[in-house]
Order: sequence, then C-alpha cells, then structure tokens
Amino acid sequence: MNDREHELFEAELRRLQPAKPPEELMTRFAAVLPVRSQRTEARALPAQPPEIWWVWLRWLAPGLAAAVAVVVMLMPWTKQPSRLAAVNASPAPGTNNVEIDRQLVAAFDTVAQMPNGEPVRFRCREWVENVVLRDPAQGVVVEHRTPRFEMVPIGFEIY
Amino acid sequence: MKWFERIFRQKFPLATLTIIKRRGCGGMDELAIQTDWQRWLEDHAPKFLLFARQQARWEADAQDLVQEAVVEAWQRQGDGAPPPPALVFATIHRRAIDRARSEDRRTGREQAVVEPQLESWFDTSVEDRELNKLIQDGMNRLSGEYREVITLKVWGDLTFAEIAEALGIPANTAASRYRYGLAELRKLTKKVLT
Repeated sequence: MNDREHELFEAELRRLQPAKPPEELMTRFAAVLPVRSQRTEARALPAQPPEIWWVWLRWLAPGLAAAVAVVVMLMPWTKQPSRLAAVNASPAPGTNNVEIDRQLVAAFDTVAQMPNGEPVRFRCREWVENVVLRDPAQGVVVEHRTPRFEMVPIGFEIY
Repeated sequence: MKWFERIFRQKFPLATLTIIKRRGCGGMDELAIQTDWQRWLEDHAPKFLLFARQQARWEADAQDLVQEAVVEAWQRQGDGAPPPPALVFATIHRRAIDRARSEDRRTGREQAVVEPQLESWFDTSVEDRELNKLIQDGMNRLSGEYREVITLKVWGDLTFAEIAEALGIPANTAASRYRYGLAELRKLTKKVLT
C-alpha cells in the first residue's frame, strides 16, 4: 500500500462520522456536569409556579420593610430626642442625604487544591461600597469608599 | 486578582490555586461554562463513545465508561473547564482494562446469558449505510491494537504523541500500528472499496 493509496483510504474512513450518543447518555451528562441541555431546559418549564411565588415575594419584601419602618417611626419613644443628641452641641448631618452605592467590580471562580489533594472551588465577588453623607446646611460632605470581597467555598460533586 | 491570591496564601499556605475566569458578571460565568460544555460534548461525545464501544463488551458498559471517564478527567483537571480529549480517551482505555479484568472474574454462566449488543458505530445516513457496515465489520475483525490506534487517529483526531500517551505505548509504535492496521483494514474491505 503506497502513500497515495494510504491517503485515499484514510480520507474514505474520515467520511464516516461516529454515531451520536443516545439521548439517555446526554441526559446523564447533564445531571453530573455543568451542561445546559435543551432537555433540562424543557424540564425546567413546568417549574414556573415557584418562580411566580418568588416574584411575589420580591415585591412583598420591600413593602413589608417599608411598613415596619413606618411603624417604628410612629412609635412614641422615637420622637423623644436622645441623650447623646442633647449632649452634642453641634447638630448631626441630616440623615436624608445619605447615599450608599454598591458596585460589583469583579466576579470569578477559583479552584484550590488542598494539601490532602481535595479540590475546593471558590466563588469570589469583589465589591466597592461608596457611602456619601451630605449636609447642605453645614456644607459638609463625607465620602467613604470601602472595598469588600466575598469568598464562598463550593464543594465539588464527587461522582 | 493579586489581593485575592495574597489573602488565599495567608489562609492556605500549602494549597495550590487556579484562577478560572474573571468577568464582570457571575451569571455570565455560569452561562459561558454551560455553553462551553454543551459544545464540547456535542463535538466529542460521539468520538468517546465510538472508542468506548470498541473497548467494552456491552453497550451499557461503553456508555458507563464514557460518563465515568469524562467526569474523572474533569475532576482531575480541576479548573471547571472541559478536559482535553486525549485525557478522556486515556481514562476510557484505563477504565476499560480495569473493567475487563473484573469481568473476567465473573462466572461463565452470567456471560452466557448476556449477549453483547451490536450498535451501529457510525452515523447511518442512507448513502453511507453499506460503507458503515463494511468498515464496522472490518474494524471488528482487526486486532485490538490496530483498531484502537486507527480509531484514535481517524475519528479521535489525536496526534501520534497523544495516542502514545493515551495507550501507554511509544509514539513510533503508535505510528507503525496505524500504518499496518490501515493496510490490514484495507485488505479486509478491498472487494468493495478502491
């Protein structure tokens, strides 16, 4: 078999494509690997009722927080000036002029190999919180930037 | 990223660390990883299964081999991304040998009851159906040493160096087995193919 015949036969073989795996195997992959398959998406559709509940809860939570804030403000003891405020001669900046800005600077995943060989995955988020306090009456502006990071360990699924 | 590495080193001085990805949004990370995996599986799962079908006695075993090998290679790689195909082929080969050894210890009665299933190895489009059958029959009659090298080279798209690593043989041996195997396969199919 010369080189030319060799190449022709090789090309003939390459024309054949390996058969696609059965759907069952791909479903098994989707269960153990981070795969987004059409089948798993289709299965996720009937799970809409919990999502609707979640949407309602998201609206309910701020409403509830506002209601609690109003009740606290209307309570009699909150109207009395505190002893600390009475002692302090200079008035504190108005609390209405406080801005808190939180920015997500970076997000990434890391994998660490512990000394015993166990892999651990970390999900990291880097935030910058910027707090600005303004009192126009006294001409005071206080700005404070604080970097903050979250490091959440996520265990590997051991098959 | 240096701040993270510095803090990590202080907390875990003996651990090794790999940064996977850095993007602006965590949701995008997940989506990108899922999309990478989906594409990778569509590209490579048929090749892995073809190789596993030749290494295993039964279809169910072949599918188990592929799944176990992909998961093992992924975990061994450790960075969350799909592993190199050569590593998966090597893992399939090693696991198939382990499995065959344990099966050999089973009773003959059990083997007599269960017959190997003959699945089609290649896509069965109408025009190539005869060719598929011919090549599959020829491959089945080849010795295992030739068959696995041809499969990894032609359909696995591996280099001889990668084949050598996957099968634990020298690269020159892989190349010569390929050449002899191809000649043998051509003899077996000569009546039909040119």
